[in-house]
Amino acid sequence: MAETDFWTGSERYLCDRELAQSFHIARTLGMPLLIEGEPGTGKTELPIQYAKDKGLELFVYPTGSKSNVEQFVARFDHVKYLRDSQIEILNSQREEKGLKSRLSTGGRNPEKLADYVAKGPAAKAYSTPNSVLLIDEIDKAPREFPNDLLYALSHRKFIMPESNEIIEVSEANMPAIVITSNREQELPTAFKGRCIYHYIHFPEADTMREIIAKHYPKVEDRIVDVALDVFYHLRRIGLERSPTTRELLNWLKYVKNYSTSEAVDKIQKLEGLGTLIKTQTDLERVQQKILNNPMDFNRRSTPN
Amino acid sequence: MFEKLPQKFKEYEIPVDVRALLLLRKAMDRNLVKTIGDIYNVLKGIVVKNPDMMGPFTKAYYDYFLNIKIQHGDRLSDAILRSETFKKWKEDNLDRMGDDLSTDDLVNLFLDEVHMTHYDIKEVLDGKTLWDNDRGDLEDQESEDDLLETARRKLDKMADYSDLSLEELLERLQEVMDRQRSNHSGGSHWIGTGGISPYGHGGAAKDGLRVGGTGGGKMARKVLNDRKYFPVDLDAIINDNNVDAALASLKGIIEESAREDLDIPVTIKKGLKRGGLFIPEIKSEKEDKLQVLLMIDNGGYSMDPYIRVVQTLFRKMKTRFAHDLETYYFHNTIYDRVFSDAQRIKSKSVEQILKKDPNYRVFIVGDAAMAAYELNKPSIESYRAMKSHFKKIAWLNPEPQKYWAHTFTTMVIKELIPMYPLSPKGIEEAVRGMNRKLN
Repeated sequence: MAETDFWTGSERYLCDRELAQSFHIARTLGMPLLIEGEPGTGKTELPIQYAKDKGLELFVYPTGSKSNVEQFVARFDHVKYLRDSQIEILNSQREEKGLKSRLSTGGRNPEKLADYVAKGPAAKAYSTPNSVLLIDEIDKAPREFPNDLLYALSHRKFIMPESNEIIEVSEANMPAIVITSNREQELPTAFKGRCIYHYIHFPEADTMREIIAKHYPKVEDRIVDVALDVFYHLRRIGLERSPTTRELLNWLKYVKNYSTSEAVDKIQKLEGLGTLIKTQTDLERVQQKILNNPMDFNRRSTPN
Repeated sequence: MFEKLPQKFKEYEIPVDVRALLLLRKAMDRNLVKTIGDIYNVLKGIVVKNPDMMGPFTKAYYDYFLNIKIQHGDRLSDAILRSETFKKWKEDNLDRMGDDLSTDDLVNLFLDEVHMTHYDIKEVLDGKTLWDNDRGDLEDQESEDDLLETARRKLDKMADYSDLSLEELLERLQEVMDRQRSNHSGGSHWIGTGGISPYGHGGAAKDGLRVGGTGGGKMARKVLNDRKYFPVDLDAIINDNNVDAALASLKGIIEESAREDLDIPVTIKKGLKRGGLFIPEIKSEKEDKLQVLLMIDNGGYSMDPYIRVVQTLFRKMKTRFAHDLETYYFHNTIYDRVFSDAQRIKSKSVEQILKKDPNYRVFIVGDAAMAAYELNKPSIESYRAMKSHFKKIAWLNPEPQKYWAHTFTTMVIKELIPMYPLSPKGIEEAVRGMNRKLN
């Protein structure tokens, strides 16, 4: 039976309530879950943590600008096939000449085309019942890629190249498919129609506090307070690339080794800003807006 | 069931097709829908396809399922307070709520009940089991017992409802819907006693048995009060014929590039047939290539009517054939920055824009009409720099061409950047102009 329990997150991973519900709906309906949202909202973490927590097998397909459905499903290894068939010829020639030793084809048999099919994550996931399949950052893929996926997603079936082997999965054993996108390009409507859609909102301060607690349970509240204050302030001033959860966690990792007062001091002086701000223009902007106005900023970040 | 839903949602520009309805039905089959909060949840996952649709979707849902109409610029709480549904609900539930609740509390309670899902109910039920198990350790028996008793009574009721079969559920839904649609009884029965929503009886909120989490109500409220869910393009009244004509003329800007690649599979196959003589086979890959920068003046009322059409146009273009479309916004004129969101909060410097591939085609959409002092030197410099970097650049002006000569700033900009009227014909000319400069 498919894994359709309602899953709300684990020790290490705080799953947004609405996201958990969408994920459950998607799994129950046997449909992929398409998660969109800003970077750093934990889109990719969901399937990873879910698989880990439930002890399910996880298959990942990181999408890139060269992605195609062959890599994703399966491709036929022509080169290996060629090599092995040449070896067969060679071997028979050697035999004729009375040579005993044979060259090996590594257990593959050129007669059996299935030996040369290199299965991609999708084919693997479909042949493993109740696995988890993550298609990461699909918006990076060429435009045809999502359209090519449509067939598979709606038929629950792949046909392997050349060997014509059919990999089919019943609806009950359907892997939990999670697709993430940063919305760098709009996905085709037909594709979205095959998915349950969820948009992750950037966590608010309360949620962020819980997320921090999951990662660094020992960090003093006072440090978290000040860091969050600075963090959300930085997010508000309209940077090109606003800092995200990941960056905040890295920053805290850096300051948490100091004593509370030292850490607070470091945060307020924006030490280790490089972990939060990633482009030169942003850095200049922060310096101009905040560091040149320390009075204003200190007043903001000191709770009274 | 739900025959009128697609029609109602269409009024809010939310497409709902047969497949979506079938999916909803399937979700009911699989016990995903027990309350109308669940319907909101499931339908959202099926129907909403980008964050901009959240606002209109929520509006459509309130209209169709609750008979609460949220007008443009309305706050959710106002719309609720005004509605018959809410009044009826209040009447029905007055005794359990007491009269010490403020209007805000009432609205919150109402929202929480509307958006309560079966997950919430399950959580309460799980909580009850936990609570039962813990009971032995409780010191303060008396008051806890009372509380437990009340809680259990209510929870039992919830449990009853959550065991409804699909047929019963559908029947009940239909019944409620019929009542909802008749003129006099109001829409109250969705929620509260007669509705499918079991917690209406419970009033869990008052006994400290709050269902956990954020509560869907909070989200709905956030969605409907937050302008970022209503970007300029969605309430658009577009002239479809016109847009398609314009789209057709935009098609002229696609470039095709061909690339030659070694075709390994064919090479091998043919080679094997030739008995091991391999001759490279070449295949040519065709690629459509199109990079577009769209800059829209979305400041001020003068531009309002046009923004929507323009966005629809380019969005259509993007889904049909563009690979790379970036939209920026500005107010009246471009100085040293443009903004990547319609609210003009996130900015990008013109300097950075100028680092982009000069093959980008740039469309600037604006009426170019402003006070003369606004079009200052830096602004003019920006236009000059853009013109010299991006050879394929055009200004599309929604003002009728005959008025251009009467506006000083329009005439100045026209000298800097080729200007065309924002009409299918104008766009066609703009595209033709761009292509000409290529050679």
